[in-house]
Amino acid sequence: MQSRKQKISSAKRGEPLELSPEQERLLKEGSYGERKALELLIALGDVYDASKLIPVTSVHISGASYKTIGDPGLRFLSEICEGCRAKVKSTVNPIGMDRERFHEMRVSEEFVVKQKEIIGYYESLGVLDSWTCTPYLIGNRPGLGEHVAWAESSAVIFANSVLGARTNREGGPSALASSITGLTPDYGLHKEENRKADVLFELEFDLEEKEFAPLGSFAGEICGARMPYFKKLSATEDNLKTLSASLASSGSVSMFHIEGLTPEWELGLKEECESVSVDRKDLEEIADSWNTEDDPDLVAFGCPHCSTAELGKLADMLKDGWKGPELWVCTSRAVCENIPETVQLINKHGKLLCDTCVIVSSVEDFSSTIATNSGKASTYLPTLCKQKTMFADAETLVRRFQ
Amino acid sequence: MILKGRGLSKGIGEAELIVSSEPVSFLGGIDAETGRILDEKSDVFGESIAGKVFAFPSGKGSTVGSYVIYGLALNGCAPVAILNERSEVVVTVGVIISEIPLVDCLDLSLLRTGDRVKVDGSEGSVDAEGVEEIHVVTSFLENDGRILLLKRSELVGTYQGLWAGVSGYLEKGDQAYERAVTEIAEEVGISNPKLLKEGEPVCSRDEKTLWVVHPFLFHVDSPEVKLDWEHKEFKWISPSQIPEFETVPRLPKTFGAVVQGLRPSDGET
Repeated sequence: MQSRKQKISSAKRGEPLELSPEQERLLKEGSYGERKALELLIALGDVYDASKLIPVTSVHISGASYKTIGDPGLRFLSEICEGCRAKVKSTVNPIGMDRERFHEMRVSEEFVVKQKEIIGYYESLGVLDSWTCTPYLIGNRPGLGEHVAWAESSAVIFANSVLGARTNREGGPSALASSITGLTPDYGLHKEENRKADVLFELEFDLEEKEFAPLGSFAGEICGARMPYFKKLSATEDNLKTLSASLASSGSVSMFHIEGLTPEWELGLKEECESVSVDRKDLEEIADSWNTEDDPDLVAFGCPHCSTAELGKLADMLKDGWKGPELWVCTSRAVCENIPETVQLINKHGKLLCDTCVIVSSVEDFSSTIATNSGKASTYLPTLCKQKTMFADAETLVRRFQ
Repeated sequence: MILKGRGLSKGIGEAELIVSSEPVSFLGGIDAETGRILDEKSDVFGESIAGKVFAFPSGKGSTVGSYVIYGLALNGCAPVAILNERSEVVVTVGVIISEIPLVDCLDLSLLRTGDRVKVDGSEGSVDAEGVEEIHVVTSFLENDGRILLLKRSELVGTYQGLWAGVSGYLEKGDQAYERAVTEIAEEVGISNPKLLKEGEPVCSRDEKTLWVVHPFLFHVDSPEVKLDWEHKEFKWISPSQIPEFETVPRLPKTFGAVVQGLRPSDGET
């Protein structure tokens, strides 16, 4: 009997990723942040069998609220941002408070200090003044076929599906690494062959505005990480924003097609695909499951952040008054800039909050039930903010409290 | 025993191993203050990963989990290395920013909680010095579409009375093929068997031993067999009958390793 040592390989491995001379140089001579960022992208490229890193034209970074990333996130930003600058147009997700109205949000002093520190690190990189989950509404709007690196699941799916840009579902640190290097590993949705749908959804009825959020949740649950293709659906861009957020929160969907509507719908379905027919009752069941309470402490709109048109509609409805509980309407500061009358009208009855959103704020400190028109918020509020939810479309909710 | 995987995050970590059989979500699943495993459904629930080598099939859950790994490192209770079957984004990002070695593409069934291992994230290797590797050959003989099974006698050291192929330990300096041919001549009295296939080694783990079986498939021209003292009975059977026999451990898997990728006609000369 003889024991001898030999290395035992137990799985197949792809070839390691190839670096350009410039990338090799950065890996050796770059600043700490540049080296760390590149190492991170190379490791991800290896994990997903990418053969190279490709340049991106735009980045959207998540992980900016102190509530979400905590002290470890803050410390990481302080180290990686040192001496680095964003190489491409970069925007950042909402933070845990409105930079001006944080007192009205009952945020603690410690939170304000730490949150401001986080803002400072991102600003030192030279990101756009954004703090929004809808960067495509404020000038970070890549076009068809552009390679980008976006985090924030609701924005990722919008970029791929509605804009036809190409991004994988990045996390906060990997998007930050792409901002610092201008690169991303070439795999997944960067390749056209991976942009075909897996599941066909046929609707037996004309979808109403209020049904986009439940439809996204219904299809997201069925799809998981697979890609849906919808037939017979007409929608505005705001509807698609709602559908995107809902699909990406109930499943981990990164892209969808709508026949005749989204820019790459002709890529179509894979040869082997599942087919699902959607009944109105399926959507009603989902809406009911989000609607467990009728006495909210807070009514929240703007998940994802409201567009100019959505704010206009809310302001119009609020002309008839508001007798409800505290009202939060969340959007980006840039969207508010050109609509002073709308801003004033909403602020008369509620709080038009910028830079933040209900999910990443510390709303659990003073509320236990929230009413919302958002499928995404209805999915996340119970776990991230310990809230019960009341769900209805915006008009129903506003009329209910007038 | 040295396992070779894929190095994803460099550095060296050496410590006692803790193996979770289920995927791990760092956000909610691990306490960043202490390194304790909080997931009640985990088979290593309540254990601490601080200062250990932590092995689990894959990461899962929120990407904020990367910051939990970073938090563990800041609090001095991170694992010294991580091993995966298949790494994904949360763990990969977490270990890179925390400078923890990571190796994936490993068969975790070959590792045990309590093993002392040295992980080299640059080489992509895992060395468990205390685990002895024992190499054996197992040959299947084919004649007229049937294969030969042998019943082990009461005189052999292991697995008495169970059905097996033609087997033997690999001794120092042995080539596996030559050892296989020698064993066939000794145990069943057949010379000049024709090699049809040499399979990838099949590994399995006992308490402190890694068994590495080198499988072979040979064609023989005659079904005539002369048993020596190691076996007391033989049978030519159809491969589909293997499950009906009480065999030595992992015999079907070992057979699978030599028939995999073989064209049906390869066995008929």
